[in-house]
Formats: sequence, C-alpha cells, structure tokens
Amino acid sequence: MVRQVLRRLFQLLLTAWGIITLLFLLTRTLPDDQQLLSRFTDTTTGTTASGEQVRQAQQARLQRLGLAEPVFYASRATVPIDDEQLLISRWHWNGTHNQYHHWLRDVVHGNLGRSYRTGEPVAGLLGSALLITLPLSGLAALFIVVFSLLLGLLLASRPHTGWVAMGLYTLDSMPLFVVALLLLLLLANPDFLTLFPTYGLGLDNEAATSLPLILTAPAYAVLPVASLVLTGLAEPTLQLAAALRHELQFFYILTARAKGLSSGRVLRRHAFRNALLPILTLYTELLPNLLAGSVVVELIFALPGLGRLLADAAAARDYPVLVGGVAMVVLTRQFSLLLADWLYQLADPRIRTTG
Amino acid sequence: MRPPPQQTTSFGWQQWLAVTWLGLLLLAAVGAGLLPEQYLAPDLLHTSAPPLTPNHGLGTDPLGQDVGMVLLFGARVALCVSLPAALLAAALGTLLGLLAGYWGNQRLQLPACYWLSGFLAAACYVLVTVPSHGLVVWWWPLALGAVAILVGRFLSCITGLRKPIAFPADWLLLTLITLLAALPRLLLVLTVAAASEPTFWGLVVLLTLTTWPQSARLVRAEVQRVRQLPYLEAATAAGLPPWRIVRHHLLPNVWGPIATTIPLSMAALIALETTLSFLGVGLPPEIPSWGRLLAFSRVAPDAWWLLALPGLCLLATTLSLRQLLPVNKQRSTI
Repeated sequence: MVRQVLRRLFQLLLTAWGIITLLFLLTRTLPDDQQLLSRFTDTTTGTTASGEQVRQAQQARLQRLGLAEPVFYASRATVPIDDEQLLISRWHWNGTHNQYHHWLRDVVHGNLGRSYRTGEPVAGLLGSALLITLPLSGLAALFIVVFSLLLGLLLASRPHTGWVAMGLYTLDSMPLFVVALLLLLLLANPDFLTLFPTYGLGLDNEAATSLPLILTAPAYAVLPVASLVLTGLAEPTLQLAAALRHELQFFYILTARAKGLSSGRVLRRHAFRNALLPILTLYTELLPNLLAGSVVVELIFALPGLGRLLADAAAARDYPVLVGGVAMVVLTRQFSLLLADWLYQLADPRIRTTG
Repeated sequence: MRPPPQQTTSFGWQQWLAVTWLGLLLLAAVGAGLLPEQYLAPDLLHTSAPPLTPNHGLGTDPLGQDVGMVLLFGARVALCVSLPAALLAAALGTLLGLLAGYWGNQRLQLPACYWLSGFLAAACYVLVTVPSHGLVVWWWPLALGAVAILVGRFLSCITGLRKPIAFPADWLLLTLITLLAALPRLLLVLTVAAASEPTFWGLVVLLTLTTWPQSARLVRAEVQRVRQLPYLEAATAAGLPPWRIVRHHLLPNVWGPIATTIPLSMAALIALETTLSFLGVGLPPEIPSWGRLLAFSRVAPDAWWLLALPGLCLLATTLSLRQLLPVNKQRSTI
C-alpha cells in the first residue's frame, strides 16, 4: 500500500517536473532577447553612447535578468562549417553553468527567482496572491459541490425540470469572462444597478470605513465567486443527473422500492453512491480548474490574486512570475489527482480489495 | 426487430435555427473576406456611439471602429481559427489513437539488435553532423540508416540479441496525454502564447497541439473495443497487411465518435480564442476579434452594446454547434 502511494507520488512529481521544465525552456528560448530587453529596461541609451558602451550596457541588463548564461546544459553549436573536418558536433556542452541548472537548484531550495518587471522575489508575490485566490476558489469549489449535488438530485427525481437543464446548458455555452463581464455590468454598474462594489477588495478605503475587513470582504467576493460558480456548475450537475438516471434503471432500485423505501430515500441512499463514482474526478479537478478560471475573473474584478498575477505576467511577458505561478497550478492538479485516487478507494470497496 | 426509440434523430426547430445561424456565420465569414479592409477604419468623430447612429447601425467602439464590421470580420477570424484547428486536432488525434490502439504495448516488436543499432544511429545523427551543402545534405542521414540496418543484420547473428522487444506505443501516447493534461488548457495556451507571440497560423498550430488528446482518447478506446471483436481476428487470420486492417476495418468504426468531437471542440476553441484575445495574448492586436470587442466593455462600462452584441454572437454560435449533436452528447469539453 505504502509502496503504491510512493510510486504514484513519484509519477506525479515526474509529470510536474516534465511539464514545468518544458514551459521553462519554451519561455527562455522562444522570445527574442532584444525585445525582452527593450521591454524591461526603461533607460534609453543616449545618441552619444558608443557601440561598445551600448553592448556593455546590454550585457549588464542581461546579467541582471539572469539571461547572460546559456539556457540549457547543451546548446546548438555555432562553429563555422569547416570543410577540413569530417565530423562536427551539433551541440556545445555548457556544463552546469546554465540558466536551467541554477533555476532548478533555486526552486528546490524554495527560491523561484525574481520578477523581470519589479525585481521582487516570485515566491513572495505568489504567497501574497494565494492569500486572495485560495479563499475565493475554495469558496467557489464548495458552492459548486453543494449546489451541483442538490440540483443533480432535483433534476433526476423530478420530471418537468427541463428548463433548469436548459438554463445550465446556456450558462455552460458562455465563456467565463463573458459571464463575469455580464455580472459586472449588470449588478455593479453606476448606470444600471449598483448592488455590489465593482473593483478590488476594498483594502484602500479600509481606513475610511470603520468596519473590519472580515465584514466588508464578502460584498466584494460575491460577484467573482458567483461568476465562477455559475459557469462551473453546469457540468457536474448534468453529469450527476445523467448518472443518477442511469442508475435508476437497475433492478436494485426496484428491489429497494419494493421493500417500501420512499423514492427520495432510494435516490439518496442507493442510487447516489453509485452515481457519484463517475463524477468524483470532476469534483477533485475543481480546484485546479478554478485556479485557471481565476485568471479571467480576477482580471475583470481587479482582485490582486494568483490569476491576476498570471494574466498580467502573461500580457507583460514577465516569464519568471508566469512559470512560478503555473508551477503552482501544476502541483495543485497533481495533488488533486492523488486526492481523486484516495477518494475512489474510499467510495468504492471494489477498488480497495483489488488494490 | 424494433429500433430503440432514442435512436431516432429528430430535426426540430432548434436544429433548423442552429443550422440557419451557422449558415449565416459562414456567409459572414466568406463575405468579410471579400470586403475591403477600409471598412474597419476608425471613425474618429463617432467614438463609443450607441447603436442606431447614422452610418453605424450597431454602434462603434471606443476607437471608433464600427461594431457591425468588427463582428463580421471577427466571425471570419473565429471560424478561420477554430475550424482548421478542430479538423487538424481530430486528424492528429485519430492518427495517434489508431496507432496506439492498434499496436498497444506489445504488438509492434523488433529484435533487440535492430533496436540497438537504430538507437546508436539516431544518437549519432543527433550528436554530430558533417559539412554538407545543397543536395548532399541528405547523404548523412541516409548513410546512417543504411549502416544501422547492416549493423542490425550483423548483430542478429548473436543469439542473445535476437529477443524481440516491443515498442510501447500505447504507453507513449498516454504519457504524452498526461503531460499535456498536467495544466488546465487555458493556462497552457496562455503561457505558450505569451512566450511565442504567435501569428495567425502559429495560434492554429498551438490550439491543435493542445486539443488533440480528446479525440485520441476516444479513438484509442474505440479501437481497443473493436480489436476484441471476431471480425478483426478473421481479418488478421486472413493475412491482411496491418495498414489494410487499420484503413478498412478499424477506421470506419472511428468516424462516429470523431464526428461528435468536432463541433464540441470548435465551440471550445472559439471560447478559448476569444478568452485569449480578451486577455491580450492571442492574435496580433490589428486582427479584429470578438474577444477584443468584449475587452473594450471593461474600459467603457456604459457601452452595453460592446458586451451584448459579441456576447450574443458567441452564445448563439456555441449553442448552435452543440445543437448539431444528438441530445445525449451535448456536453462541454472545455
């Protein structure tokens, strides 16, 4: 059992390492060095500077961004083709003095590098962003689980609830950012209805209002959480309803009805547990998917969370922040896979005995 | 024999509506290609004009571009990105799923000596090159291939090296899918798009490379199911070559599942493309897109037409694409 868990853990970490390495190399090799430099340096070189000075200044900037060294252990050789030599090596060996090696060593030590834009450590940025994002996505995940269970049971037990399913379909067909924009412009618009505050978390005017943050924050969180819940609700609900309807065709349901149980009890105690199996993964995937969704939601509602950080980093090509944030989401997804394994063992005794 | 009732495909008013809308969209996409680009030129005298302004029936955005024209050109972009990407992804997924499903982990076997020589030749090719120009470029890989086959032949004299080793095609496919699924698709595309600042076709390729796993999974499952059936055993026993079995006995089974994925992945791709444009990392900013129009509604919160019109187009398109499928398949794949 322990060996199985350790093996699985090793697999998950290997996957995470693979994809993060891939993204690191992509973000370090694809962009053009000169464009990056002009993006992240505000100093304009004067017309009097000599070519040598400009070159040195560029070298210094590359050094500051950590881009002066070669990217990987080996890089493509750029030796001129020499007709005398018979075999030419395609690669140039750089040893351990390369960006990837240093980055990986730092990551293992918990140091994710520094932002290109502000020079702040990425780990600190991520930490303060998670303080906003985790409550937000956690709350949204909780609401989605509860509402989808209730709605799924309702859809499966009552006929004539087609309009609920239709509404869910419609919500499911809209991208998250459209729903969020709709909510923002309908319910937090001075020209229309101003039920909720529009932007941020109200941290700035905390001094002005005497109310503590714990009382003001919920009003700011309603719309972001609502847009995440509305778009995330459809899939688990419809799948659960379909699974419940499928289970209701079996004979054990007839047996349960025949021994005198009420139909609600049959649904909740007999069909529900079997119907839950195929959608457990949907629930464990919620957290990583909501983290991805927060990219859009936090940008629209101007919340200083992980999603906003990632969206800004992507738009500004601030790659250390981008890769660091993405690494966090990758780890979350890997652990949600582990959680799914564990939940399956808990929910299905057949897996427990064979595993 | 009575056919089961749920198999009958009803072509109700929803389907007619869906087909009509998609037809209009196609017409708009083709029509926008014929219109000159100057219709997109900003009208600086009427910025953020509401609908029903003279000359601008659907209003203008904060830059002064006519919303109707941007919607028209945006429809073209949405279709031109999502349709090729969906078709290419389906094709790539079908190919990989077929190969992995047919070969599995055991069925593609080669003697160990050929693995050894092939590996050595590949390592040689990757590590060193020879000076060559023009047509002569090809002699190095060709020579390496020939040498690899000869060395393999020679090594096969050693009994120990004749043991067949299987090529784990299925395992490779699953590993690749796991790697791609390690990150939600929006974030994966966002990161790569931010790193490469893709052109139009770059974006299509990027979307294709992140969309194929769905169809590959479906095809692989279908092939694994069919491979157990007696008629395939009969085909194998009749001595048909593998490509013929794959082409004539496996591929026809796969069309059904693949056809259902194409509208769904198109809907998901349109949503993804608009989201990318909204975030400012998708297509280059001079290409009109529904997502860019929606992004303007953040800047101008009182301009409801900047949200309502592209939002309605997006909703109608996604719903129409889903209506093309049988009722039990209309689920999202995002």
